[in-house]
Amino acid sequence: MRISSSLFTNNLLSQMNQLQGQQIQLQNQATTGLKVSLPEDDPAAMNQVLALQTQDAANTQYQSNITQLQSTATTAASAMNSLQTITEQAGEIATEAGGVNSSTQLANYATQVGSLIQEALQAANTQDAQGNYIFGGTINNQPPFAATTDSDGNVTAVAYKGNTNVSQCQIGPGQTVTAQVPGENTTGTGPAGLLADSRSGADLFRDLISLQQNLTSGNTSAIASTDSPNLTTDENNLVSGIAENGVLQSTLESAGTAATQLGNSLATQTSNLTSADLATTLTKLDQTQTAYQAAMQSGVMIMNLSILDFIQ
Amino acid sequence: MLGLFGTLDLASRSLATQQEGTAVAGQNMANVNNPAYAREQTVVQISAPLQTTAGEEGTGADVVSITEVRDSLLDNQIQSENSATGSFTAQQSALQNAEAYLGEQITNTSGASAASAGGLAAKLSNLFDSFSSLTTGTGDPATAVQSAQEVATQFNQVSASLSQVRANLNTSIQNDVASSNQDLSQIAALNRQIVQAQAGGGTANDLVDQRQQTIENLAGMVNISTTAQPNGSVNISIGGVPMVTGNNAVDGLQTHDAGGGQLLLQDENSATPLSVTGGSIGGNITARDGPLAALQTSLNTLASQLILQVNNIYSAGYNPAGGHGQPFFTGTGAADIGLNRALVSDPSQFQASSTAGAGGDTQIALALANLATQSNPALGNQSLTQNYAQTVSTLGNAINTATDQLNTSQAISTTLTNQRSSESGVSIDEEMTNLMQFQKAYEASAQLVTTLNAMMETVINMKTA
Repeated sequence: MRISSSLFTNNLLSQMNQLQGQQIQLQNQATTGLKVSLPEDDPAAMNQVLALQTQDAANTQYQSNITQLQSTATTAASAMNSLQTITEQAGEIATEAGGVNSSTQLANYATQVGSLIQEALQAANTQDAQGNYIFGGTINNQPPFAATTDSDGNVTAVAYKGNTNVSQCQIGPGQTVTAQVPGENTTGTGPAGLLADSRSGADLFRDLISLQQNLTSGNTSAIASTDSPNLTTDENNLVSGIAENGVLQSTLESAGTAATQLGNSLATQTSNLTSADLATTLTKLDQTQTAYQAAMQSGVMIMNLSILDFIQ
Repeated sequence: MLGLFGTLDLASRSLATQQEGTAVAGQNMANVNNPAYAREQTVVQISAPLQTTAGEEGTGADVVSITEVRDSLLDNQIQSENSATGSFTAQQSALQNAEAYLGEQITNTSGASAASAGGLAAKLSNLFDSFSSLTTGTGDPATAVQSAQEVATQFNQVSASLSQVRANLNTSIQNDVASSNQDLSQIAALNRQIVQAQAGGGTANDLVDQRQQTIENLAGMVNISTTAQPNGSVNISIGGVPMVTGNNAVDGLQTHDAGGGQLLLQDENSATPLSVTGGSIGGNITARDGPLAALQTSLNTLASQLILQVNNIYSAGYNPAGGHGQPFFTGTGAADIGLNRALVSDPSQFQASSTAGAGGDTQIALALANLATQSNPALGNQSLTQNYAQTVSTLGNAINTATDQLNTSQAISTTLTNQRSSESGVSIDEEMTNLMQFQKAYEASAQLVTTLNAMMETVINMKTA
């Protein structure tokens, strides 16, 4: 094959150009540690990375949601425990009242029950850290339990101002829970009311008020036949609520653990797709640089040879 | 027989012949770095012999022509490959531009996985995560409004940039059409000059080199067919429509707005639509109406579905003040998607609740958050985020295809160019050797002249004495 003068130099230039291009690419990989940067580098990997980063961001959000809900659940548990204690105390008073004849003693008990009612109102109107009322269902901007008092300062009735709806929150892919509890549910369907529920027959405030009034009027037989068993029902109802809260907290904890594990797995998958192996990259870079040097050296050697040097 | 004067004439013609040879060698060497140049060769023939009683007697040699070594088949192949290279270069460039404006680039952020944090994928993700945060009842609607604003702005910016890319491609096409028309005129003019020069039995090597260079330049812009005519001119047609016939540029290219930002090619005379698939014009049209248009359509569909789905859910919601029925997004597509101004100035109006008067109800926010993973029939049963990821990888694939085709075409081009260089390129070694040959021959002929001179001197001096 006939070799013209420009053939050699054109070839050399194109080879050096190619090697330069490879060097730049490898150097970039070594610096950023990434083998995929733009969609054109690896379209399929890009698609997966976008999906993974979306999942990862969602996962982080779930973890944040879980933390918020855990805080609410803890506040609720504390209030529920207070209410259970109050109900127990009322139950003890009711039992003891059966064997008491002294009207002074009964009046004392009535006063104690009056305090218990106030404590119960306070617990039932608990707010979370944002100031939302937690036992009103989805109506959280006003106290769910409103008391009417008589001229002596005794509570005669407590009305429920909340509703029986609860809101679901996302804690995982396709997984939701609710941390909201309706204080009262007399509809017969839906989530159980904490203090009053028509299905279980519980109605704490009705029973506490009834106990106080019966103590004041000295009607110990009514206390024994109605108030005592009712208060037991109320306590069982509360215990159910506490158990559900326990389930909620443990669900939140497992979801939190799962989210942490998912986060790690996503990070590994992303790394596998995008990370350039530094050892391989540097080796290839070294090889390319050697080839580049060789091209330049051999090119110059050959270009320096000319027939003109030998013609006298 | 020739006689002394005849032989002197032979010697002087030989000197001229060797001089011609050195001149051609010099011409070749002067043009060694000219890529359009094809090496010339002197064609030396023996002169008409003299009939003598002793038989034919040679009368020396003359240079009959200076021909150039050129393979027209290779030239055709190279010009055809130029069109392909021009087209793929234009496509790769246009699509890489679009990729840059789309803004999806994976970077390493410390403490987190590598991600493409600045593009639409991350912003859509932020939006749905902010809806999710609202479901706990402790999220801030201002964050959701802010995230939504970023999504809308990103859509607007990318849409505007891609429209700009499209406009730039159209400008490029117009510029190339103007250049092509200039080239066509030039080829016609060169045709005329070449035909004239060759009509007298001569050659027009430099003009042919020039014309071939112009043809290859034109081929890089638009795919052409050439037909060599016996009289030395070359006819050019584009898309079957004759553009240069003999000495005349009978027609030209013009652009034609087919609506919707589609600038297409026509011929000037009859406005026949020309389907151009090669050259930079073809490449720009292919990129513009193919992957680029598909990208714009996908983004528009995505934006309009986002607007539709979000507004459907959101307008059924209630805000804490009891407000209801307001839309979340305004606009219809990627170019004009925006946020409800009233919501932007007062994010507390966010309609997160599914019932009036229940501030703790966040079920609308939940439905909005669930949109992220909901499959949508209008998006090929993919979710919004899946659809976008696919749009991105589709563009990546288009770029890769163009790059692969470009690499192949460039490799072929290089092989063909090397072949032509081997055939027609100047080799200094060869020219120097030729030069030495002609030099020695010149010396020999000069020596003949000297000898003949001495002989004639002898003859003339025969008279005196």
